Amino acid sequence: MPGPAVWMIRLSLCYLLFAVVTGAFILVHKAFPLHTAVWGVLPVHYEVAIWGWLVQFVMGTAYWIFPRFPGDSGRGPVWLAWGILTGINAGVWLLAASVFMNDIAIAGRTSILLSVLAFTGLMWNRVVSYRNRT
Amino acid sequence: MPSITRWFIKAGMIWLVSGVMLALVAELPDVQGAALLLPVYWHMIVIGWITQVIMGVSVWMFPRKKRNRKKEHSLLATGAFFLLNGGLIVRFLSEPFLPVFDESTVIPFLVVFSAILQLTAIILFVCEIWPRVQPKRKRKRERT
Repeated sequence: MPGPAVWMIRLSLCYLLFAVVTGAFILVHKAFPLHTAVWGVLPVHYEVAIWGWLVQFVMGTAYWIFPRFPGDSGRGPVWLAWGILTGINAGVWLLAASVFMNDIAIAGRTSILLSVLAFTGLMWNRVVSYRNRT
Repeated sequence: MPSITRWFIKAGMIWLVSGVMLALVAELPDVQGAALLLPVYWHMIVIGWITQVIMGVSVWMFPRKKRNRKKEHSLLATGAFFLLNGGLIVRFLSEPFLPVFDESTVIPFLVVFSAILQLTAIILFVCEIWPRVQPKRKRKRERT
């Protein structure tokens, strides 16, 4: 498994744990009200679950498992894969922090958009059949 | 495909169908308390379906630490399956009724119990998958 995929998957597992812990807190708060501030965690819960866990896990696994480029190109430029990882994680952190500082939500969304665009560019030509690559 | 993966995927499909049906019911004009159903069908789809299918497929596809270890044999994955689905069932049978039976003492405890089950399931899954996510070089070194 290549380095960027290892780290994308490991980070996504950490985000999964975080999302479930925050979700559990919200659920407990529904049953036994803890503090009104608990509801403030709700946007962090779903942003982390969607971008940090689901999207990042799928991206990491696709980067690892999809057919490689022919010849010596392997999975494409490694620096771009690290850039994708940095972009999506910066986006998740910025979105989570935007609960406290609303202004940085746009920066978070932009970071995720750039990361997803780079991912699509990197992976587009790896979505092929091995049969047609003689 | 190992049996535990088949369980994860089939249970996931049942949650997907249930979630979509419930989302449809919540849209019907005469249904009261549609807002109470919103977290239920969202979690049926996101946890019951998407997350559970990811769990099942990764238990199957991710390289195992020891090559000779049977695919079928994983207590952590089996535990994660039963705790997650048990947790979801308890949750969906209790969470929407919290505001309806606000005098009840049993329902709040069921909600907390479901949260514990779901959290434990995810911890077991992470314990199963984490050691299997590593660079190829390190895996080869450990096998020799």
